[in-house]
Amino acid sequence: MTTKTSLLKVILLGDGGVGKSSIMNRYVTNKFDAHLFHTIGVEFLNKELEVDGHQVTLQIWDTAGQERFRSLRTPFYRGSDCCLLTFSVDDSQSFLNLGNWKKEFIYYADVKEPEKFPFVVLGNKLDVTERQVSSEEAQQWCQENGDYPYYETSAKDATNVAVAFEEAVRRVLAMDERTDHLIPTDTVKLHRKPRSAGACCS
Amino acid sequence: MVHVYNCHPFSSQQIVQVEQEPGLVCCGGGALFLVATGGCKVEAYSVVQEGCPLICRFATMGTVRNIQHSKIGDYLVTIEEKNSATYLRAYTNWRYQAEEKARVGVRLLGHLLRGASVRGGVQMEIIEIPLSERPVAVACCSVTGDLLVGCENTLVLFTLRRQNQQSLQSQSQQIVQSTWPNTQQSPSQSQGQTSSSNQTISILDFERSVILHLPILKPKQVALCGGYVAVRTELEVLVLKLDASTEPQVLEESTDTTDPQEDPTDFLVVSIHQELLGDRAKDCEIPVSIEKTGLEDRGQYSLTYVLFRRFSPDYFQGCSEDETHLHSLQLYPLFTSNQTVSVEEPACVFCFFSLPTTGYLYSLKGGVELLSAYQYPEKVLEAVLTDHLLHVITKNALQCFTVRLAAVAARIEDPYIDTTMKACPPSTLEVCALRMQLFIGLRSVCVYRRHVILLSTADAETPEETERNAQRRGLELKEHNMLTGIFLAVGIDPATTPALESLLSRPFLGRKWPLSSPKGVSATGHGWNIYVVDTVSPLTLYQEMVEYSQRYAESNPQAQSLRHLLSEAHLLLRASLLQTAEQLQDSEDYLVVSLQRDGPAERPTATQADTQELEEALRQNCAQLGDCFSRDSQKDCHLALPYYRMSGLPVTEVIARNRPLPSSPHSYGTGFLFYLKHYLLEESEQSLSREAADEVIDIFSQSEPSQLVSVCASPPMTNISPARTLRILQNLEDTAGVSVPLTITMATMMLQMGDLQQYTQLMERHAEMLLVYGFIEEPRLLVHGGVGGQHTLIRPTALTRQLAKSHPGLMVAAMVALHENNKVQLEQADRIFKELGCENCLQVDFWEAMLMASSQEAVIQELLFRLASVYIDRLTNTQSDSHPDQSYTLLKRRSLKSADDLINSCSHFGALHPWLTVLSPVHTTSYQHQEALHKLQSLLCGPSLSVDSVFPLLERLSEDTLWGFSLHLLCATRRGQYGNSIEKLLDRCPQAIIAYANHQLQDKNMVLWWQKLLPELCNRTRVSADNAILLAALKETLVVVSMETSPAEFLELIPDDGTASYFLPHLLTCSQRHLLA
Repeated sequence: MTTKTSLLKVILLGDGGVGKSSIMNRYVTNKFDAHLFHTIGVEFLNKELEVDGHQVTLQIWDTAGQERFRSLRTPFYRGSDCCLLTFSVDDSQSFLNLGNWKKEFIYYADVKEPEKFPFVVLGNKLDVTERQVSSEEAQQWCQENGDYPYYETSAKDATNVAVAFEEAVRRVLAMDERTDHLIPTDTVKLHRKPRSAGACCS
Repeated sequence: MVHVYNCHPFSSQQIVQVEQEPGLVCCGGGALFLVATGGCKVEAYSVVQEGCPLICRFATMGTVRNIQHSKIGDYLVTIEEKNSATYLRAYTNWRYQAEEKARVGVRLLGHLLRGASVRGGVQMEIIEIPLSERPVAVACCSVTGDLLVGCENTLVLFTLRRQNQQSLQSQSQQIVQSTWPNTQQSPSQSQGQTSSSNQTISILDFERSVILHLPILKPKQVALCGGYVAVRTELEVLVLKLDASTEPQVLEESTDTTDPQEDPTDFLVVSIHQELLGDRAKDCEIPVSIEKTGLEDRGQYSLTYVLFRRFSPDYFQGCSEDETHLHSLQLYPLFTSNQTVSVEEPACVFCFFSLPTTGYLYSLKGGVELLSAYQYPEKVLEAVLTDHLLHVITKNALQCFTVRLAAVAARIEDPYIDTTMKACPPSTLEVCALRMQLFIGLRSVCVYRRHVILLSTADAETPEETERNAQRRGLELKEHNMLTGIFLAVGIDPATTPALESLLSRPFLGRKWPLSSPKGVSATGHGWNIYVVDTVSPLTLYQEMVEYSQRYAESNPQAQSLRHLLSEAHLLLRASLLQTAEQLQDSEDYLVVSLQRDGPAERPTATQADTQELEEALRQNCAQLGDCFSRDSQKDCHLALPYYRMSGLPVTEVIARNRPLPSSPHSYGTGFLFYLKHYLLEESEQSLSREAADEVIDIFSQSEPSQLVSVCASPPMTNISPARTLRILQNLEDTAGVSVPLTITMATMMLQMGDLQQYTQLMERHAEMLLVYGFIEEPRLLVHGGVGGQHTLIRPTALTRQLAKSHPGLMVAAMVALHENNKVQLEQADRIFKELGCENCLQVDFWEAMLMASSQEAVIQELLFRLASVYIDRLTNTQSDSHPDQSYTLLKRRSLKSADDLINSCSHFGALHPWLTVLSPVHTTSYQHQEALHKLQSLLCGPSLSVDSVFPLLERLSEDTLWGFSLHLLCATRRGQYGNSIEKLLDRCPQAIIAYANHQLQDKNMVLWWQKLLPELCNRTRVSADNAILLAALKETLVVVSMETSPAEFLELIPDDGTASYFLPHLLTCSQRHLLA
């Protein structure tokens, strides 16, 4: 048993009602509740998993998508290792807002090299029949924005949820290949930018 | 010297079943919190339940570098790192995280929009506390739950806010600070799943209230307690008092004490150990400035320096710099049971900090002082102060020392300590080690109540130490090689010279190696353990100490160790009794615990029965301490008195305990005699039996014969056998000579034996005056009770009763002497006379005698009034024979002093005015009546009696009789009513008018002769011209007037209708006198 696990902070962003909390619940507790409350502010859950031989603790941060909760949400973007930009395939506006979410994240998380930051895009509510956003449109947006992986998910019937999170972990681990994130550094450099080290738990 | 007693303060040991190696440990609220090494997870175990079961497990948001639990608010605060940034976070409602899958809320400090009830359950919440500087240390106030954060150069104080859930929902921003326990009211509620909508839940938040800037201090550790702020650097400790008030006030009294051992010259050259207490602490040259950041306006904060200490590594003591680091800073509050003023403010606050070799404990409130310095036998890694004990860990042992907190608290709680009523071992009593328990590889210690939690790692050396030692060995080797090289270069082979060999093998001066090694991964990882070591109850430890003390008692009852051990035991009990007062606060923890698990939680606090048990033990201990001091003849022997008193032992029991063994030299300890003397002086209402009283006589006859008179006069001794005592007293007289009190005591014994003849003979050996002096010397020969205070009922002795019968004059004289020498109060004397049944006779004699002797104005006025009313009573009672039953007391005995005696010898009784004799001729009534009348008249003629005060009493007397009229007339005259008096006198008794006028109309009243008397007489003679008395009076008046007026004035005064021939001679006299002038 290893005593060292990586703690990866993954944050779910997207318009209110696209299903961020449901995705998180499905992934962590494997349950679905059609009548979830709106998330207020920020909440998180931990999930331990093994990806490619790495023992990882995934700290999944669920945020309130509604505009009025912005001030409660944005302070917690800092220190994220990965951002899951989420929209609903039955809501074109939520898709159009992806760019705004990305900008908000990069601004508040203080990401210094945005082009290298691992984003993953999720198109949720695949189970709904009336689609407003096509798979191609979404793929194209991902392509144009920085070659982000795109997953079409359904929190309701569990389609692609685990796969998407595992991909997020892989992205982070790939980012950290250069620095061995499992050995924590002892000294704390105050003026170092949060992202530059890339270590996940120190 | 440190006493080391091999007691057994530790009862049992449990090993907590932990899966991952713990890096950090802390405890509080009945729980133990472990952070896995390098991990981001906290596990909470219950320390108050058997087997220390897991309560819950939750993830943190980063790697925890520091973790503390706050008793108030039951929150955890952490300093965490993630991606090389440092964060400060508070974890609230953590107990609701039993199911790891529950969502955790996160919010920023001050953002309270969200709430658990919205979700329908209590949710664990993390409060992110942003800071502009990197946090280094945190501390929670155990009184208020406030949070103190030490950053690079600042200390930030966050005050705990409790937001009521319901008021939050209604958007009312009311802060509820005192309802927190309410949230724990339903133990049936399980982990936040079944919260009903109307339940009141308070949500915690913090307000950044004040920032202290310490530009030249680098905090390593901080502490906070009830407004006291302590900060520790590597080698300094600074304690400040922060007060939120409008006007700055100095709270600490200055105590100008420096370490007495400190050599002042050393102090000036290098401040090796600098200690600045109270007001002097501000001279430490560490500037502190306040920045107020609180949003709510609660006045200004003011800052007072309380304590400053600075240490320097002492190379000559074999300490290197890195060994001279301070650690274990603690501020510790203590509440006392009689605290009603404010529960927020502890009665005592203590400050503890430690060097590896010495620990220091200071008391901060009511004057800063060093209570104890703990000299450790070996290098100490960590120390934790509790109210009973100080626990310290070295690498290989858990040691426990005694503390003096209870000695300080007891004195604050009870002002009667350190009097003859109560005692308590001094707070300066030497501390001692009770136990050294071996463990392997101890790393850290924390304490929750009676549970000491230890982290040990089997590999005795921590990775850093291994590395450091390796490094050191390397360096030593380098030095060794270098020096050897030098020696070899000059042609000396050190290997052949033993002295050089040994020099080279010796390590050189300690040196500080930079600590650059990371807090590394333990290679083994399996040799660690978390122990929960329970301490025995203080009562059990007390009993062991008492048993222990018996061994000392048998071998050497005088030994200091016996007294020390019993004193330690005493303080242990006191600490426990104080702790019961903390019930209210501590029960919070237990509610939390019982909420968490259905199983039986530890009993909250000492119950009533426990308290009784403790109190009983304290009484026993006091008896033993009393024994200890009573046998003593040293300077502390007077402590036997308060300890025996506190023990509640009856005096006979104390006497029995102090009875010398037949084998030992026959003597009583000074302490015991001191106790016994005080007991006999204290006017106990309880009489000793004949046997006990005789034993007391024997004790004093043997040890302190000079006390025998005082002993015999003591009220509890009333049952002594008089014949036996008389023989002892006669022996005393034979050896020590005759003294008046001794003779009186012997006479008292004769009286008790009923031998009146011998009694009289003894009393007649001395003149009355000498007897009076004898009574002043020993008032208890006459009165019992009242000496110890006015509460005890005063009563006459048998001797007093006898004196009242046989020597009333002596008795009265003695009472006056006692009063004038402040041995009895006037009211007490009244009570004596009442007891004697002679209120109206001897008591009045006493008052009259008092008037002759006393010089106290207040007493004189009181007595004058009393006597006036007594005389009036007597006059009303004797004036007719219709009340024979009332006059019986008057007939019993004549007064000691007659009216003439009083007039002649007492200034307050004036000479009777001549006109009174005209008015009330003698022998018209009985002697008693006559005396009373004359005494009253004399008082009214005297200078002291206030007429206004007795005037209402006089109303009772009728003016019908001439003597009654005389009193009213006296009174009216004294009140200046001359005109009226003249008229009345002319009406009732004109023959007295000239005597009256001659006496009263003098000086400024002279004008009344012609303004009032002359016209009055003229008028009256006009009406009854044949009245010879009036005419004679008129003639006398004209003589006086003609002498006092000018001829012109005289002419004016002559009535128009008068016969010229009648007035002419007077006018002539007047003119002639005027011409002569």
